[in-house]
Amino acid sequence: MTQLYEGMFLLDNQVVREDWKRAKAIVTDTLSKHGAKVVCARRWDERRLAYSIRQRHRATYCLAFYAMGNEGIAALRRELDLSESVMRYLIMGIDAVPDGEIDRAGQEDAAGFSVPPPPPDDAPEPEPERPRRREEVEVEVPDLEEIPAVGDDDSAPVPARARKPEAKPSGTGV
Amino acid sequence: MTVASSRRPAAPPISGKYCDDPVLEYKNVDHLRRFVTAHGQILSRKRTGYCAQCQKKLKQSIKRARHLALMPFVG
Repeated sequence: MTQLYEGMFLLDNQVVREDWKRAKAIVTDTLSKHGAKVVCARRWDERRLAYSIRQRHRATYCLAFYAMGNEGIAALRRELDLSESVMRYLIMGIDAVPDGEIDRAGQEDAAGFSVPPPPPDDAPEPEPERPRRREEVEVEVPDLEEIPAVGDDDSAPVPARARKPEAKPSGTGV
Repeated sequence: MTVASSRRPAAPPISGKYCDDPVLEYKNVDHLRRFVTAHGQILSRKRTGYCAQCQKKLKQSIKRARHLALMPFVG
């Protein structure tokens, strides 16, 4: 059974900056590939994100309305999850396409319409440096056979802890 | 014998009567922003003035907006 859906797709601004039509085609082609009939698709907005996603602070929202059977939804979601251009998406079932949506999408498709490019301040954050691991220091382990055992040789130096403290001279020494 | 209630009266709701407000949708972010605290928490029905049905719509819309990074989860 065919159901009408509304999909909002969050697109990476790097892809949008190259070419908006190509970015839009990523969404519409993916939908068509899974058996959806795209009613209309348009650029909804370009705005700053409330929180960063994949080190991006800005993104472009693409709003699409399409009809498809429910058997392709799982595969569509799986592909969108794996897509690098689509950062987030929201798919909702709806009863009818809202008024004016088809007209707005038609205006975008008309000749002479230019999509404003995303502002340049949306460069991805540099990845934070990982804390360096302590370099492994090679410790030389002495050969145990070369060390004489305690008590074998009287001339062997006795460790300082093993020595008895010398008796202090008693008396005042006057 | 009557016992004086120590409970404070409920704070007045934020908006007027209410359910005929603009459509509660995740895309109406400016409208939804009125129904969250400065920390991003959804206000209660007592504060929003919505009926139970509309409060559910409001909650769903805010959560959808959060998912799309239109609204913050916190702060």
